[in-house]
Amino acid sequence: MALTQRLHEAFKGTVERITAARTVSAFKEKGVLSVSEFIIAGDNLVSKCPTWSWESGEPSKRKSYLPSEKQFLITRNVPCLRRAASVEEEYEAAGGEVLLDNEDNDGWLATHGKPKDKSDEVENLPSMETLEITKHRAVKSIISEFGDQDDEDIPDMADYEEPDNLVEVDAATLPSTYIVAQEPDDDNILRTRTYDVSVTYDKYYQTPRVWLTGYDESRMLLEPELVLEDVSQDHARKTVTIEDHPHMSGKHASVHPCRHGAVMKKIIDVLMSRGVEPEVDKYLFLFLKFVASVIPTIEYDYTMDFDLGSSSN
Amino acid sequence: MAGHDSGSILVFAQFQSAVDEGFWHRLSSLKLNKLGIDESPIPITGYYAPCSHPQVSNHLTLLAQSLPSESNEQSSAAAMSRGNRNRCPIRGTLYNTNTIESFHKLDKKSLLRVEAKKIWDDIHTGRAVEDSALLSRFLLISFADLKKWNFHYWFAFPVLVLDPPATLVDLMPASQYFSLEEAESVSAACNEWRNSSLTADVPFFLVSTDPNSHATVKHLKDWETCQSDGHKLLFGFYDPCHLPHNPGWPLRNYLALICVRWNLKSVRFLCYRESRGFADLGSSLVGEALITVPQGWRDHQSLPNAVGWEHNKGRQVPRSISLAKSMDPTRLAISAA
Repeated sequence: MALTQRLHEAFKGTVERITAARTVSAFKEKGVLSVSEFIIAGDNLVSKCPTWSWESGEPSKRKSYLPSEKQFLITRNVPCLRRAASVEEEYEAAGGEVLLDNEDNDGWLATHGKPKDKSDEVENLPSMETLEITKHRAVKSIISEFGDQDDEDIPDMADYEEPDNLVEVDAATLPSTYIVAQEPDDDNILRTRTYDVSVTYDKYYQTPRVWLTGYDESRMLLEPELVLEDVSQDHARKTVTIEDHPHMSGKHASVHPCRHGAVMKKIIDVLMSRGVEPEVDKYLFLFLKFVASVIPTIEYDYTMDFDLGSSSN
Repeated sequence: MAGHDSGSILVFAQFQSAVDEGFWHRLSSLKLNKLGIDESPIPITGYYAPCSHPQVSNHLTLLAQSLPSESNEQSSAAAMSRGNRNRCPIRGTLYNTNTIESFHKLDKKSLLRVEAKKIWDDIHTGRAVEDSALLSRFLLISFADLKKWNFHYWFAFPVLVLDPPATLVDLMPASQYFSLEEAESVSAACNEWRNSSLTADVPFFLVSTDPNSHATVKHLKDWETCQSDGHKLLFGFYDPCHLPHNPGWPLRNYLALICVRWNLKSVRFLCYRESRGFADLGSSLVGEALITVPQGWRDHQSLPNAVGWEHNKGRQVPRSISLAKSMDPTRLAISAA
């Protein structure tokens, strides 16, 4: 598995180096994007959802076919209030998988007809059962994280306490334990992770590609393996893999783009069968809606109130 | 909903740091290829933005671009990122030591005073009125163990301590403070400020509301001209904090500026927060603080007390992170085999 993946990456890298980037639009025919269409769609995302912005990334990793100040898109500090495993039930009920696998067009529209309801439900009415599950899973994962690591990886705070412990007395500083106490649930310390979500252009597949960088509640980097807990369990380690980010340092979790074109083509076909002419500048809104089925708990999927057509019929 | 008795001490939520992995990668290569054993302080740039989700605060974020590049001396990061609404640049100073011992031996109190003095000077000279981002500065001390790819570090966000502390008259969601018409106009004016590349990263500003409920957002340097027009005036700032009953850290040096420059005893402030990238007056707060001008504050020469070392899980201790998994060539080779 790992070897075939690596071979494929090498092959893909070679093809990317020797082929020119797509310049002719095949958006409606194949569900793919040319470089300039990616820029148009990205500009539209940034203007409609201002928490997204363009970045230039590492200068050494810059792609010559993209403008230097528009190498990729990123939104930072996106909350993820619970683990994916605990919303699996609601996710199944909402028919998330239908999007990928069901040939029936109605299935896709049913999923996306009411994403708002779904998230409201998740946020406001957590059942006791799912809360229990969250707690157990989260605790377990943290223990297993430490179990797996070498000793030298665990920074022991006690080592630093003596030389460094500093006490500033100040009545106007909110004690930081307060912040935890303000949280609505006692298990929230374990649940509130945040994510940096980035979208890059994949030249080989000619589609956008989503990357996730996770942080724990004190904004310390999460091991990419732990990120998989926030991914739909059907996709973890299959469509979601851990790879080098094309514009940033380190390993990050990513939704593999091999089926993006096909899925986007299907979404576009559904829209066109409903008499809606899809516009290329809305590609990333559609794309992020599709990605939301793979990463159900990360709350970046907002301001999607654009006209998708007569899906209510 | 005010939730505060009048006269209680105004309590601020501390700034929190977030360091992107790319920052440590660039620091490592900078250290190996350029700095060597040079321990001189390095000017760096941090970035922040108003809180954009009611459940999580925003952080002061360091990225690879926060450090000067290896090729030229000057950091181009600040110039390049101007106008990015999600990245308001804040100046900082990095002290990177060569050994863990010298990291522990750093005189944290005096380093904090050095940084606080810059803020104090900028307030007294008026530079902070012209360039309000100067009110928030930060300090980072670190030891990069490049043999084990461990990074030990500690942030400080220096603030000048008002003594006696400011007290709170009231604090409420901005949506309750403003009338409906005002709220609409304030939201529109703030969104316009945030959308213009000229003002998007100017974190301190004035919100002036005229008797017809029409609001405008202005630069701090327009404060004098706002005195004669009889409009309601609020001191606004980008608040990284999400908490419903506490303003965030940047308000502290802001109050110091207001007290020193304009001699106000009573200050109405707006903690500006967003939702999905747009003004959210439901989570933004409006409050009134009373300041007793501390003794000696008129005198530029007497630097007030300063605090601000970051808390880590409730205690003031440094943090550390291991990046062996992404930096150790042996491990990278094994995982690639």
